[in-house]
Amino acid sequence: MQHQFRTEQGSVEVIVAKQGNVWHLGEHQATVESDGRLRIHLASGASGLATVAKVGDTWWIHFEGHTFCLERIEPGASQSGEEGGLTAPMPGKVIDVLVKVGQAVEAGQTLMVLEAMKMEHRILASTSGHIKGIHFAAGEQVQQGSVLLEIDEDED
Amino acid sequence: MVSKVLVANRGEIACRILRACREAGLTSVAIYAANDSKSLFVELADQAILLEGDSITETYLNQRQILEIAESTGADALHPGFGFLSERADFARAVTQAGIQWIGPSPSAIEKMGDKMTARITMRDAGVPVIPGEEIETEDETEALIAIEQASTRVGYPLLLKASSGGGGKGMRAVEHPEDLLEAARSARREALAAFGDGRVYLERLLTGSKHVEIQILADRHGRIIHLGERECSVQRRHQKVFEEAPCSTMTEEIRSAMGKAAVAAAMAVNYEGAGTVEFLLAPSGEFFFLEMNTRIQVEHPVTELVTGVDIVREQLRIAAGEPMSCGELHMRGHAIEVRLYAEDAAQNFLPAIGPLAVFQPPEGPGIRLDTGVREGDEVTPNYDPMLAKLIVWAPSRDEALQRMRRALDEFVVLGTTTNIRFLRELCDVPDVVEGTTDTTMIDRLWPEGWSPSLPIEFEDGALMAAAVAESAGLHRQSTSMAESNEHTGPVSPFMTLNRRYP
Repeated sequence: MQHQFRTEQGSVEVIVAKQGNVWHLGEHQATVESDGRLRIHLASGASGLATVAKVGDTWWIHFEGHTFCLERIEPGASQSGEEGGLTAPMPGKVIDVLVKVGQAVEAGQTLMVLEAMKMEHRILASTSGHIKGIHFAAGEQVQQGSVLLEIDEDED
Repeated sequence: MVSKVLVANRGEIACRILRACREAGLTSVAIYAANDSKSLFVELADQAILLEGDSITETYLNQRQILEIAESTGADALHPGFGFLSERADFARAVTQAGIQWIGPSPSAIEKMGDKMTARITMRDAGVPVIPGEEIETEDETEALIAIEQASTRVGYPLLLKASSGGGGKGMRAVEHPEDLLEAARSARREALAAFGDGRVYLERLLTGSKHVEIQILADRHGRIIHLGERECSVQRRHQKVFEEAPCSTMTEEIRSAMGKAAVAAAMAVNYEGAGTVEFLLAPSGEFFFLEMNTRIQVEHPVTELVTGVDIVREQLRIAAGEPMSCGELHMRGHAIEVRLYAEDAAQNFLPAIGPLAVFQPPEGPGIRLDTGVREGDEVTPNYDPMLAKLIVWAPSRDEALQRMRRALDEFVVLGTTTNIRFLRELCDVPDVVEGTTDTTMIDRLWPEGWSPSLPIEFEDGALMAAAVAESAGLHRQSTSMAESNEHTGPVSPFMTLNRRYP
């Protein structure tokens, strides 16, 4: 069966095939345990139990002391692209806006200061350019993922 | 006499205290905000009263409402835990005046130690060494910035800006160069104002290469003041402790004895009662300086409990009831390490994370203790501190304690919310941690550009395969089918399976 997952490196296509009780991915093998965990045998000979849980579209996997988050891309779903938008990393309150619309900024420059979980978080310019839009003012609440500001990237 | 204790806190520390009350045979009252109605600590109390209001100010910081609940429930003692109102002298005073026993030191001791300037003067007078530093008294922004600039030349660089009424790393900024001072000062004042309603800051010299070492003390009304040895908490990120241990790996008998004496002198100077912690910076030279005194139970108290065998919270209850503390002569035995599990994305500059605890499986086995306020199925929300749990291990030696911590962290499974488990696990392999040569700047030095996990590519293959197989096999639909199959093979009446041959 074919699945597509979003990882930090981009989307990855995975094809697994089942023979008897054993699943195959290239040289790697896996079996489903009665408690819902997976016994994974890697090509290198290493093996371990993976604990899995699905939250929304995302599979959370614990394997060999590491935790992975793999979002399943539904077949046919369109990819949302990364634009020049700077989004709130989590819900919080804007406590300072340090730039104005039209202002030239450099990559890494602090644009906005948020307060979340009683701590300050700085929103930094992802790229050099000009501020195209500012969507929140100091004192306003923001939701996770809200677009806070937009930058028009310099074209050199 | 103490018979009914109101716990004016939530989460992990409320659970710790409520369990101690149960063990001591005391009746307990929990108070909770509406968004905590399903939290573990509410279950652990004999009685739980809903706080009206939405914000923290209206609920857990609402002195008047909490006092009313204490009176209406007939509580005769109040345990403030840590954070929230635990170091508010005015609250301690109001509680005491209502005829309710405050489980902690007197309001005047809290006042003297809570104000960093008064604390410094008190300590200097008691013969305890202090770090060069100055307080900026003015509240006015412009005047304060001028005063900060002038004071910085006397204190010297690198320096540290701290909120005068602060704690927990809030309102704290390290400044390396004079040109960064003003921006750091504005930001520290703003954070201090938001967190504590007091924008005053304090400047002190930053002693580089130093260890953060603190002494736990206990004092009762029968004239006994003892120290329970030290904890080292040098591994900090933004002045938030993440890895704590006892004993300190570089401690000598001479330094421990001198530091212990200084801590006891500090407690005596303010007529201390109950449990408290005196924090020091231990310089590479072996000199130590008073940092501050925390007039409450601390997050990292379990490491001291594991190496001394003293139940510090139980002693707090005993001391508040006017009884002498129960511990006899103390010996430190073995080594204990605590790590703080946070719902945060260590690879994204430690941003707090939220989500469901779809799976929460703590490690088990010898030498392992878990202090937590959550369980599987709970939701991590942005409403409160993102600390999920404290994982504490004990072993006969430091090396074995580290090995045990590595094993425990590898076993710890949390799915649905991002945590710092892997970061903590990798900390256990950092040479400075292994050697015990940690200092307070270690994390910033090791990962100046932020931390990211070192991940064998093969494990990623394994994870991708697990996700693909889980999706193909429909494991996300399994929960219901498993519940169905339990009808046949699952919980059976114990009377059907019990062997009935009683002796």
